[in-house]
Amino acid sequence: MLSIDFERHELDNGLTVVLAPDPSTPVVAVNLWYGVGSRDERPGKTGFAHLFEHMMFQGSAHVPKGRHFEMVERAGGSVNATTWFDRTNYFQTLPSHHLDLALWLESDRMGWMLDAMTQEKLDNQRAVVRNERQQRYDNQPYGDWDERVQALVFPEDHPYRHTVIGSMEDLAEATLDDITSFFETYYRPNNTVLTLAGDVEPAQALRKVEEYFGEIPRGADPPPVPGRLDPGAVIGSTVREQVRAQVPLPRVYVASRIPPLTHDDFYVADVATSVLSDGRASRLYRRLVREEALAKDVVSYAFPLVTGRSFMTSWVTGYPESEPAELESALLRELEALSDVTDQEVNRAVALSETRLLRQVERLATRADMLSMFQQIFGDPGRLNTEVDRLRAVTPDDVRDFAAATLGAQNRAILTYLPEEEAE
Amino acid sequence: MSSPAPTRRRTTPPEPGPIRPFHLPDLEGDRLDSGLEVRSMARSELPLVSVCLVVDAGETTVLPERAGLAVLTGDSLSGGTAKRSGAELAEALEGLGTSLRVSTGWNATTLSVTCVAERLDPTLELLAEVVRSPTFPESEVDRVRRQRLAAIRQRQMDPGHLASDELDRTIYPPEHPCHRPLSGQPESLEAMDRSQPAAFVEARYRPDGAGFVVVGDLAADDVLGWARDRFAGWEGSAAPRPELPPVVLPDPRPVVLVHREGAVQSEIRIGHPGPARGSEMENALEVGNAVLGGAFTSRLNLNLREEHGFTYGVRSRFERRRRGGTFSISTAVETGATARALEEAMGEFRRFVAEGPTTDEVEQARDYLAGIFPLRMETAPQLAAGLAEILIFDLPDDYHHRYRDRVRAVSPEGVRDAVQATLDPERAPIVVVGDADALERELEALELGPVEVRRPDDVGVGP
Repeated sequence: MLSIDFERHELDNGLTVVLAPDPSTPVVAVNLWYGVGSRDERPGKTGFAHLFEHMMFQGSAHVPKGRHFEMVERAGGSVNATTWFDRTNYFQTLPSHHLDLALWLESDRMGWMLDAMTQEKLDNQRAVVRNERQQRYDNQPYGDWDERVQALVFPEDHPYRHTVIGSMEDLAEATLDDITSFFETYYRPNNTVLTLAGDVEPAQALRKVEEYFGEIPRGADPPPVPGRLDPGAVIGSTVREQVRAQVPLPRVYVASRIPPLTHDDFYVADVATSVLSDGRASRLYRRLVREEALAKDVVSYAFPLVTGRSFMTSWVTGYPESEPAELESALLRELEALSDVTDQEVNRAVALSETRLLRQVERLATRADMLSMFQQIFGDPGRLNTEVDRLRAVTPDDVRDFAAATLGAQNRAILTYLPEEEAE
Repeated sequence: MSSPAPTRRRTTPPEPGPIRPFHLPDLEGDRLDSGLEVRSMARSELPLVSVCLVVDAGETTVLPERAGLAVLTGDSLSGGTAKRSGAELAEALEGLGTSLRVSTGWNATTLSVTCVAERLDPTLELLAEVVRSPTFPESEVDRVRRQRLAAIRQRQMDPGHLASDELDRTIYPPEHPCHRPLSGQPESLEAMDRSQPAAFVEARYRPDGAGFVVVGDLAADDVLGWARDRFAGWEGSAAPRPELPPVVLPDPRPVVLVHREGAVQSEIRIGHPGPARGSEMENALEVGNAVLGGAFTSRLNLNLREEHGFTYGVRSRFERRRRGGTFSISTAVETGATARALEEAMGEFRRFVAEGPTTDEVEQARDYLAGIFPLRMETAPQLAAGLAEILIFDLPDDYHHRYRDRVRAVSPEGVRDAVQATLDPERAPIVVVGDADALERELEALELGPVEVRRPDDVGVGP
């Protein structure tokens, strides 16, 4: 159903370039995936990859502070970046006659970022990130759930033990030397995928990429991800944490280690989460929300991570009077009931995923990001076109086997949030 | 490792290449005898179709004692039809790889679906069934009501939502629907049963006043036929909308401080009534807003975030409704920086209204808004929502097609005049949700207006 045209090239300095021409609108999405994320952070340096992403917008040798955003906005484009466990992506979507601008800005910071670093900029962005953490984690009901779940699912020495936002104590210690060494270690063309999707003529676009990025020297291969990458297929038991916090409603999370995105079984996990919570015909919605009216809302999600193991989380939010134990046993019951999943349920999950994928690639920015992802992780952007086939290959038996091997009591982290006692 | 020696071309930004103009697809429009307005756009890059059905059933059409009824109705609409239970309906839709989204705002209720093109027929059939024959089973209405009551509790404990709700409560008088949260209040919701949504649909879900929008991979000439077939026998006009009371800001300007024990950040809101959708000043105010707080490089964000590091971000926006609207500045800042951040935000706000933007700022904002327009109208769901807006707000059919021309015609003087005619920084109510014990005296010292501390009991917050 999907046939996104693309071609792939590699510059002499190792930069991988994916070009996906689509002239239907005069817009181009420029997307870079740097192969570095929070997984690469050493102990005592958590939160670093993300702080670094902020610093990438603070100017480079030929781009003054603040001008990156300004120039792209002036050109009529949108621009941002995100940091995740396994990668950091930078992206702008802009009218296609401004392609050169985006390539110039991105290449300037890939080649000449350090020339513009100052202590003042570092201090400023550290404060911004501290606020980001407070806004998203500390001042938000359930805001720290992922921090707690990750610490339950992964051992001390696994790179997914800590969150992307990291520790503010670690960030307080960050120095300009750290910035320099991080840049030199990871922000190299040979650790990066650049995708252009939209209104580009491939031969001309490749020439431009060569002109802007070609002179940036290749770096050493980045060091291996620190830590023990495979902590084992299962947690080994059911581990628990109960938190009393400023939350409005009780909520129970159940998380498990699952195979990484690069394993065929990840597609099974993806279908399983969809059977559980995608739409109102999904099991958790149908049974816990609609029929039994135990839960206000339900979610199940498999994190698409690649380093050793990944994790899957399902959660159930109750009503003010709900008993957490009842929420927990209902959720566990449904995880176990995946053993009787039907063809119809799997087909529905695949149909929903198929429509979702089409909707995703309709946005050039998302299309470019997915092409970068498939290149960076699988070495093949073309997997985008065959992704639905892999989901369609999943059978009810696969889901049953996955649930039996992966979602049982030997592999559960259960996190419960309870509202603080009412003040009388 | 040292930086490579840059080539000469690197030292200055590159010139843009030749412009390739952007064109929105043509819009087809018609009106059925029943009064149902039909709009469509054909495009075929991907085999997707987005459909919206908008009905004149927003929250401003409900009586004060029924606050939340429009939302409750929208939420329970897919609880069952004459042919199917809610569970069967979900099975049918999701088996087609799609799902029905019903979203209710102040102005309208919108039913939207996006599906693979070859599954459009059965999807439309289900959509028509939902809007024509909802049954509102008691168990479904009760459940949805409980979910909404729980969601109100969630909103009250989420500092950002709490701040926004308090701002509306402060700007709008109690008899105005926008005084209370969109989805209603516990008192009004607790008094509802299945008879009210059923009666509400009877009165307001009518083709005369409604609109049907289809965008995507389709032959445009089919759309009218579909609408006739699918909605045959659907008749009648939506009841007249109630008048809204005038908005008079409190005098002197209040500074409402909502206490949140031990909060590490403060949520700040500064607000003001604004114009309705489609007003004469709309584009000038939009350009002005981009300069003040609507873009990353706005004055507010560069000051509070990039210069001072008080916040992760600050934004301003105009929310434009069918009648009237709200302007607001929103940010979350570290508790210790609250007073300074509020002072800086008010300083930018005052300076902007007094002096207006510079020519360069207006050029940048115009280019930004005109340039990102194709990104706001990129996907079938975005285009369908855009056409739905035309119907909801009674805008001309070429409203979006002419958007960039209107934006490019905005002048610095036009922005200044529109802003001065619309916003008065000295009257704009302020809300801070944060640790009142740490903040009260500092906020008083700013002398922005009388500081009114609200403890959790006053705003109905739990612990």
